[in-house]
Amino acid sequence: MNQIASRSLTLLAARWLLGAVFIVLGTMKALDPVGFLKLAREFDLLHPAWVLNAVAAVLPWFEVFCGLLLLLGWKARAAAFVQGIALIAFTLAIAWRAWTLRQQTGVAWCALRFDCGCGTGEVAVCAKLLENVGLLALAAFVAFGDRASRAPRSPH
Amino acid sequence: MAALWQDAVGITVAGLLVGLAANALSPRGLSLGRDYFPTSQPVASRASSSHPPTAAQPTTSKHGHALIEHAEAARLFADPKRQHGRILFIDARNADRFAEGHIPGAMRFDHYRPDETAGEVVGLALIAERVVVYCNGGSCEDSELVANDLLGFGVPAEKLVIYKGGVAEWLARGMPLEKP
Repeated sequence: MNQIASRSLTLLAARWLLGAVFIVLGTMKALDPVGFLKLAREFDLLHPAWVLNAVAAVLPWFEVFCGLLLLLGWKARAAAFVQGIALIAFTLAIAWRAWTLRQQTGVAWCALRFDCGCGTGEVAVCAKLLENVGLLALAAFVAFGDRASRAPRSPH
Repeated sequence: MAALWQDAVGITVAGLLVGLAANALSPRGLSLGRDYFPTSQPVASRASSSHPPTAAQPTTSKHGHALIEHAEAARLFADPKRQHGRILFIDARNADRFAEGHIPGAMRFDHYRPDETAGEVVGLALIAERVVVYCNGGSCEDSELVANDLLGFGVPAEKLVIYKGGVAEWLARGMPLEKP
């Protein structure tokens, strides 16, 4: 198998994995919007009430929508790009919440556990941040990885 | 890159519209304009007069509702007045949690979906002499939110108490649970 075909398969697998992750996590949140609302509130970042409500109401479906685009391969690069930006925001918010909890409780950073509202229940902060970095890398690969495979080949 | 940005903006707009539509159509959807966590005026002055403070434990919640310990909750549960509707237990959890098990005879009132049971529960709360609101216990604040809702429906603050231990303590103390 040549390099380009191999890279295309890798991109396809990455796209499907990313899409599946967002569909699953988005669906978990969409099935319990009140639960997600309560968790989003704990971050104390979304004010006033209508902003909190809008994020809690819309974000889960937005994730599912982008996940479907990734699975179907339609505007997949842009979907991965958008989710990458969202992941940066989520990761910063989780780090912020972890920092405030650490200030309040004195618990060591990597010993902190809380439900970040990500759809996976209570998580260890360090593991969650690493997971998000991994997803971000995957999103970046899907968004920009195809550019390398479309680069002009040497004439030799 | 410009095309990517254009597509990204398009997807964001489309995604937001899809999200708004899905929320509007979903039976579990949220009301965007509602303040689900109002910071209402505390009712401390009215509540504390009928529930004298003790030295160590707080007797009122942050919204000023009277808090009761397990012993008082168990006493009210055993009181024959409960059988006649003069003592009412209200479960502030959602339908799924309620179905998993609730204090026997308790009515459900979900702060986030008040329309589901308000018609029945408010009437009973107005008639009752004592209304005990509970949720999971611990850091669960839904019982406070429901107590505030009931105040808004005209249930006097003097009647309302919050069982702060909630279902978790009720179960831990070996008390019975009922399933629908």
